[in-house]
Amino acid sequence: MTEFYGVPNTGEFWHWTNALHFVLVGLAGGMALLAAILTLRQHPERNRYVWLAAVLIVLDLFVLWAESPARWRFSHIWLFLSFQPGAPIWWGAWGLAAALVATAALLLKQWFVPLRRIPEVVPGLVLLLGSLVALAYPGFALAVNTTRPLWNEMMLFIFPITALLMVLAIALLLGSTWAKRWEVLVAALSLALLVAYPLTLQGAAREHFNQEGLIGYGVAGLLIAVAALFFRNPRWAAALGLAGAVGVRWLLVMVGQFQSPGL
Amino acid sequence: MARLGMLIDLSACVGCAACAVACKMENQVPAGASRLWIREREVGLFPNLAVEFRPEQCNHCENPPCVPVCPTGASYQTKDGLVEVDVAKCIACGACAAACPYDARFTNKKGGYADKCNFCAHRLAKDQQPACVETCPAYARVFGDLDDPNSEIAKVLKAAERSDVLRPDQGTRPKVIYLNAPSKKGLTQEVSDS
Repeated sequence: MTEFYGVPNTGEFWHWTNALHFVLVGLAGGMALLAAILTLRQHPERNRYVWLAAVLIVLDLFVLWAESPARWRFSHIWLFLSFQPGAPIWWGAWGLAAALVATAALLLKQWFVPLRRIPEVVPGLVLLLGSLVALAYPGFALAVNTTRPLWNEMMLFIFPITALLMVLAIALLLGSTWAKRWEVLVAALSLALLVAYPLTLQGAAREHFNQEGLIGYGVAGLLIAVAALFFRNPRWAAALGLAGAVGVRWLLVMVGQFQSPGL
Repeated sequence: MARLGMLIDLSACVGCAACAVACKMENQVPAGASRLWIREREVGLFPNLAVEFRPEQCNHCENPPCVPVCPTGASYQTKDGLVEVDVAKCIACGACAAACPYDARFTNKKGGYADKCNFCAHRLAKDQQPACVETCPAYARVFGDLDDPNSEIAKVLKAAERSDVLRPDQGTRPKVIYLNAPSKKGLTQEVSDS
């Protein structure tokens, strides 16, 4: 039996607002990737996706700002221009900032003549790079915490892939038919990752996962399975895939805060 | 350059929690959070049982996982080896709390920054001992420069029969070192086994 005098800081350090951020940053990064690809390919739908990407990035940053107990220092991550390449959050902040600047350059050129002189490929490439960083960062932000056994290397794959699943589902719901085959592929890939993930857990980590997250994880996986395998009604499948991906990301952030035993 | 560290003699600690109270008072630690706490557990198997009172806090690791993950550089190591938080730079993102294997950090909601034991750096600047060391009625704690062979801490560590650190498997090289633990196999292993 173990007892304490004083309170060990074993509670959640990230709360539902942080889980919401991990969903929104996936949506923002994924949407920025779609916008970048469509821009570079001069697709007629590109403007809609650039708008969506910009709105989602702003919304994500707003959520981070609103939940932060350090609201007036929030901008310090950019203000100090500190070079912290070991910190995934540093990468994420700069990736989102670059993507936001690129979307602004693409959207504002209809009102600001000087911006028209910049070839569209330039902000398109910046958006592409920023989106890739924003897509990759959440997985790294979790996987670097080697003492949290539920946040293992699988996070590096699950988070970018589920982000793509979410944005392709939204594209389908918006009526973009080009997203259909990619949605099926990404849903199948997500499903494969979700099946493999529990097999990578061992001992107390697996026990904790089974107790705290297995039901939610199973439901989310089932939704993604429906999206991947039963694609007769693309919009329904997209909505289910979106819900499943949101659920998986949320659950992994919240349940994964479990500390590996040993103290 | 010093290598500041702390010894805690578990055979001397009686679990009175005076250190935890002194820390709370000295550093105005908010309710619901702790820079220092005492873990009490039973170790061993009948008939060789013992109760271990183990104070825990930031270990001021030589290889601290909380420092490289900080996106603003707010978490840093001083030249004396203390792991510190620059409150003016901290954005309270929680990355350091996630990275700490010892659950030593918490977010100070009032100030909006990551908080933890800093060996009472403000007292060290005045050539005073950390509050927990000064308060301990059992003299279970020794603080000082681990690299100075003439320091008390170095002498006590050298004379100790046994020393352990928390979670050596993490490769963090803690500078809070436990002496004379009652458990047979080391601080971490015994809990893992049970």
